[in-house]
Amino acid sequence: MNAVKGYAVYFDSYVPYERAVCIQERLARARSEEEIPDTVLFLQHPPVVTLGRRGATENLLVSPENLEEKGIALYRSSRGGDITYHAPGQLVMYPIIKLGRAGADAHGHLYNLEETAIRTCADYGVEARRVPRKNGAWTDSGKIAAIGFHIKRWVTIHGMSFNVDPDLEGFEFIIPCGLHGDPVCSLGSIKGKDTPSIESVRESMKRRFEEVFERRLDARTTDQLPDTLRRIWPE
Amino acid sequence: MNVPKDRLYTKTHEWILVDDDIATVGITDFAQSQLSDVTFVELPSTEDQVAARDEVAVVESVKAASDVYSPVTGTVLDINENLVDHPEIINDDPYGEGWMFKIKLADPEEVESFLDADAYENSLPADS
Repeated sequence: MNAVKGYAVYFDSYVPYERAVCIQERLARARSEEEIPDTVLFLQHPPVVTLGRRGATENLLVSPENLEEKGIALYRSSRGGDITYHAPGQLVMYPIIKLGRAGADAHGHLYNLEETAIRTCADYGVEARRVPRKNGAWTDSGKIAAIGFHIKRWVTIHGMSFNVDPDLEGFEFIIPCGLHGDPVCSLGSIKGKDTPSIESVRESMKRRFEEVFERRLDARTTDQLPDTLRRIWPE
Repeated sequence: MNVPKDRLYTKTHEWILVDDDIATVGITDFAQSQLSDVTFVELPSTEDQVAARDEVAVVESVKAASDVYSPVTGTVLDINENLVDHPEIINDDPYGEGWMFKIKLADPEEVESFLDADAYENSLPADS
């Protein structure tokens, strides 16, 4: 443990999906050239529906124009997986890490992302688990975390979205991950007035990431980026 | 993690089996295990001219997509079309029936820079 050291980057304002992709692609390129260490982004997106590379538009239940009227953007993404919805109140974790370094990588990236979500839930007394043939983390009330990622030169981009307390209404416009009839939940829908803040969950998820992925992270906000990251950060 | 001794490896988890000036390429056991159940494979076309490090194929599982690189420069002679209908072969037999493409090498000496099985195995996570 703690053999590999990297950065956690905390964003304090919502990050448009396109910009998050641009940041991730720059970081991934720099990571594969060994210019930067493993870096994990923790952020929230403004409302957006994204389709994975093989995502089917029939899982979008309203027209793109309809989404736009509701202030929801639509993007096709390079990640694996089908359709998903992001919105404020959902904590998104994008690890830009080189696989094959830490012993933990032998479990597989998908397994480790799920494990991070499950242990984060446990920190708030919520029991989550894997469901065979359905990826992500599931509670008795439904799916709480969704996963989709892309590996380029064995550097990962995209990752996991974890519902802390988003407006779940947006999920009604899609068939999440193309899975029919599976409810979506959040810490908020389970814990009610005891719902933790997104900052609290971010700390918990960062700690669980360090444990599961065997990588220690220095947490920085976007205005305290180390020079190695600042040099390649998009305007 | 299974690493057969009869072939060469890249740091990006491809294997290369060279017979004269023809290289057969696939992804390693470690690579397939990172992706979990493979559900889709995109292959190059025969007669494609490829350069070393070009992205030539994509392997996808339900939640992951990973690019596959040509380790060598040359011409694509053959592709494993069987994978298109049976992508799970990559998980079941990555070093055998799961081969992905064959390349006629432009420069047979190019393969001298690859890792042997021991070096590749040492580069993998310790408890794999």
